[in-house]
Amino acid sequence: MKTYLGVDVGSVTTKMALLDDQDQLIACTYLRTQGKPISIIQQGLEDIRKQMPPQAEICGVATTGSARYLAGVVLGADSIKNEITSHAVAAMHYVPEVQTVVEIGGQDSKIILIRDGVVVDFGMNTVCAAGTGSFLEHQASRLNMDIEEFGSQALKSKAPVRIAGRCTVFAESDMVHKQQIGHRTEDIVYGLCQALVRNYLNNVALGKEILPPVVFQGGVAFNQGIIKALEEALEVKVIVPPHHELMGAIGAALLLREEIRTDSHKTNFKGFEVSQTDFTVSSFVCKACPNLCEIAQISVDGKVLARWGGRCDLWEGAATG
Amino acid sequence: MLKVGIPRALSYYQYFPAWKVFFEALGAEAVVSPLTNKAIFAAGNSRAVAETCLPVKLFFGHVISLADKCDYMFIPALRSLGRKAYYCSKFIGLPDMTRALVPECPPILDPEIDLNKGRRGLYQTIYSLGSHFSSDKNKIKKAVEQAEKAHLAYRKEMSDRGITPIQALDETHRSEDKSYLEPDVSRGLSIAVIGHQYVIYDDYVNHRLISRLRDMGVRVFTPEMAEQQALDVAMTKLGGAPHWSFEADIVGAGEYYLEGKVDGIISVAVFGCGPDSMMIDMVRHRARGFRTPFLHLSLDEHTSEGGVLTRLEAFLDMVKRRRRVCA
Repeated sequence: MKTYLGVDVGSVTTKMALLDDQDQLIACTYLRTQGKPISIIQQGLEDIRKQMPPQAEICGVATTGSARYLAGVVLGADSIKNEITSHAVAAMHYVPEVQTVVEIGGQDSKIILIRDGVVVDFGMNTVCAAGTGSFLEHQASRLNMDIEEFGSQALKSKAPVRIAGRCTVFAESDMVHKQQIGHRTEDIVYGLCQALVRNYLNNVALGKEILPPVVFQGGVAFNQGIIKALEEALEVKVIVPPHHELMGAIGAALLLREEIRTDSHKTNFKGFEVSQTDFTVSSFVCKACPNLCEIAQISVDGKVLARWGGRCDLWEGAATG
Repeated sequence: MLKVGIPRALSYYQYFPAWKVFFEALGAEAVVSPLTNKAIFAAGNSRAVAETCLPVKLFFGHVISLADKCDYMFIPALRSLGRKAYYCSKFIGLPDMTRALVPECPPILDPEIDLNKGRRGLYQTIYSLGSHFSSDKNKIKKAVEQAEKAHLAYRKEMSDRGITPIQALDETHRSEDKSYLEPDVSRGLSIAVIGHQYVIYDDYVNHRLISRLRDMGVRVFTPEMAEQQALDVAMTKLGGAPHWSFEADIVGAGEYYLEGKVDGIISVAVFGCGPDSMMIDMVRHRARGFRTPFLHLSLDEHTSEGGVLTRLEAFLDMVKRRRRVCA
């Protein structure tokens, strides 16, 4: 059986999705990146190998997410795609008539507008991560609460409090104040959900025409409180597709399938040995000009696979081949 | 020979050829600061007050890098370049801010350019600027004429040949770029990049935006590749005279390119720019009317290369897929 692996290495979580040649999901994994993308990619690949049916064979690998180039080098990717296109393609796969995709991830959030099956506009958070998963995680830890129970707590709220969501720091002082005057935890938690949604709609989605069906995906779509707050704010039912947290990975795999189509395609995938390969990462400061760029490099057995981080092509060019 | 320092920042991209010719005609040498780099940024950032925008901080960095290399620093106070059209207050206050923040700066030549008050004052201003180098009024007059000619030639070269200021200023680019002359939508995408010159042409600020787009197979159009008059006409079509002196270069350019000349528009601005927040919004609004894909990049000193790249890739994917469907 031919299968295709999509890998989405984000700032907070790493997702992998294995599709068969009917675009059905047959294996997946969802791990925390923990700032160690390479070892998490290796671990994820091991997860996938264990779930794979014996006759399956990986015929292509696609990477996406903020570490897509790194993942591409580690795995031997056939396609490296940005996460916006990947998310859009996956959303259209599960909900063909979708017009708006809301994606809220760990460090960034997006809105994608789709009309007649084509992306017509998108937006991403600009300079601040206030409307994202890390905002919620940060506040949850202040409340001594697991992010997993955040959603169910939020749903208990009867009188949510208003919390300034523009900035995580201000939200925090607002929240502490509400705690001090005796508001219930669930009301504060739901207030935070509403603050995140408000922030998302006022920043990322500012000026964008949000038409139903609205598909909500990304890790934050696990959170029932956010779903409820989003539905209240938009006054429409929000569709959370199955595998919403894997959509980037699934989309990357779908895009790859679209690209290769031919039977003669030969994958660059380095095989499951990657999990055992000893990748070395190191960095140095380039002194070729006053910019003093920090160049990161990844190598195996002393052979450099890729370099990043320069403001010019000096080192990027040296790595290819 | 007296040396006049010209920071490679802000209005440099617009007027450098004119300034150079003017000072050289008066027997002085124009010394330009290097391309923006980390050291220049760090120097500027350490002096500037927090509220100033990134390009102004960089400007101070460029001044600092030139401070011990010239006898005068040329920092015109640009107030207005036309009737009821104004510059941003940071341009107006540039010489004063520099005096306060860069004490080691050599004497500043700061002619105040205010065409809202008419042209009479302009001549007096330029004579007193020239008098630092020559007492011969005729010589100064000739220098002004030569400078004006150089400016017009520079502007015309960019629109005639479809090249950027960087290409026009850099002699080494002169031969190779014939391919950018005629709009040819059939091969690759055509994208207009709209923004202040000191944003779209300073590779340190914009993370090599234009060369990245070209590497991705895109034909890039910028405001200077259109004739100034065409931009002014496009601007007037929107109704109302411009409030900002550089409005035609942004709103006018957006309008000009939106009229079926490109597949998409990318606007670029730095975080915290007041005029841009209004002008870019106008371009965005017009782009929606024309159903032309539009991407706005908001840059700041900490903007990561990755974030810019992701948006560019996604935008180009969007434009390509859209074109495939429409075709």
